[in-house]
Amino acid sequence: MPLDTRRLTGPESSQSPYNFAPVNKLDLTQLDKRPDGRSIKKLRPLFLRTNVVSQARGSSYIEMNETKVICAVYGPREVLRREDFSLKGQLTCDFKFTTFSCRQRRQYQQDSQEKDLSVLVLEALEPAVCLHKYPKSQINIFITVLQHDGSALSAAITCASVALASAGIEMYDLVVASSAAICGSVTLIDPTAQEEDALLKATVKPDNNAGSVTVAFLPSLSQVSAISSDGELSFEILNKSMQECVANCQKLYPVLEHTLVKHQQELEAGRS
Amino acid sequence: MGDAGLSEAEKTFILHSVQDDFREDGRGNEDFRHMELETSLISNTNGSARVRLANTDVLVGVKVQLTPVDPERPEVGRLEFFIDCSANATPAFEGRGGEELGSEISAMLTRAYAFPGAVDFHSLCVLPGQQCWLLYVDVLLLECGGNLFDAVSIAVKAALFNLKIPNVTMTKDEGGVELDLSDDPFDFKRLDVSGAPIIITVNKIGHYHVVDASEKEEECSLARLMLGVTEKGTITAMRKEGSGSLDPNSISDMMEVNTRFLCLPGI
Repeated sequence: MPLDTRRLTGPESSQSPYNFAPVNKLDLTQLDKRPDGRSIKKLRPLFLRTNVVSQARGSSYIEMNETKVICAVYGPREVLRREDFSLKGQLTCDFKFTTFSCRQRRQYQQDSQEKDLSVLVLEALEPAVCLHKYPKSQINIFITVLQHDGSALSAAITCASVALASAGIEMYDLVVASSAAICGSVTLIDPTAQEEDALLKATVKPDNNAGSVTVAFLPSLSQVSAISSDGELSFEILNKSMQECVANCQKLYPVLEHTLVKHQQELEAGRS
Repeated sequence: MGDAGLSEAEKTFILHSVQDDFREDGRGNEDFRHMELETSLISNTNGSARVRLANTDVLVGVKVQLTPVDPERPEVGRLEFFIDCSANATPAFEGRGGEELGSEISAMLTRAYAFPGAVDFHSLCVLPGQQCWLLYVDVLLLECGGNLFDAVSIAVKAALFNLKIPNVTMTKDEGGVELDLSDDPFDFKRLDVSGAPIIITVNKIGHYHVVDASEKEEECSLARLMLGVTEKGTITAMRKEGSGSLDPNSISDMMEVNTRFLCLPGI
């Protein structure tokens, strides 16, 4: 491109001003109280609602303080392409962060992290859905993270399972997910974005543990439907935090049940 | 994965063989197949390796490139993984068919290498705040015979071990710093890969845990656990794959099977 000398040309690439802003560092090794006032073992309060997208077959909205996720379920509908025919139903999942959901602006197109998360959500939900009841059909799940303040994956899985249930899709069980961040000997339950970030940038000694784990659990079958971990962790610590996450999923289960009961009551009230 | 087209009887046969700890090819449940590992195969790359695990064949080439640093992490170099699922391996990979599997493998590798001790990321930074090395790790799947993730991760580690990064000399100018790449082929440095992880996949077939599953065995397993493990015994990435779910205790057992393989492919 020829250079236009009459115009004041800006730099070719630009950076976020946040890169130059001082970050308030979080010392993960000395945490008796977290920035939001929770204790290290405490979950954030969960707000769940169904029927937020009127056009969708089923939908739900989840809020864990500043993490806000909306999910819509469409289908079961006919598989369009003939070569995709199968006797088992197909589940698809589209996970998307809105461009404004994170500290840094995200791209409109789905990036590799979002693709990875889509697959993880799908794998968490697949064991719970009775796909053999939906031959030749597909069920589409669309997840949008409106605001990301940590544990977006677990929020998305929980939200999507409620949306599936509210859509009347036959399922073996609900899926509840929970996550934990680990730094040294400290395990932070339900980490916020600030805590997750601090962990990523933590300059931990080589033999120290630093990472995070997310577990998706089927509470009434007592089965783990998905597990994913990041960072460097020892076997014992990973095992221990997994058990903790499972226990937390059990704790959250009544909230999901309550939401679905309310959803059903609203449906029946609407009918009569 | 898992399109070998097995009949019910064949599946039962595999299930029974796993029960008896004597698999189709004579291995026990916790035995790996023979592995062939070659390095320095392709002269145009900075590092290359090829792994053959029975019918699985993987070729990895690493190319290095100088790039501006990531403004969020100005003191470290970067790794980028790309998996090419060649249609030579399976006709199913034709066109965009292999894209999904490719992005799954690269996502798993990215996560397994994301921790600070994987390779010396600081040594990959040429000029802190300005220039760093970007390692393009390109994986080509030549043949798929099961256990792709493990084979790919071993080949990647071998290729990084084989990597020769040319030395750079810096001269300070008025206009800034000038970088000069050494053109002497023997003037290079190596990358320390002793902390680099490999991926071990444990398949659950029936009630048993099987490592290094062949394509047929993979079709019989409903759930598998993939772990990135380092020599020290730490776990750097974990993922469950497959349409089945697992008991929490069984996950612990599978993790234990995993960690037993730590010292196995020490390169």
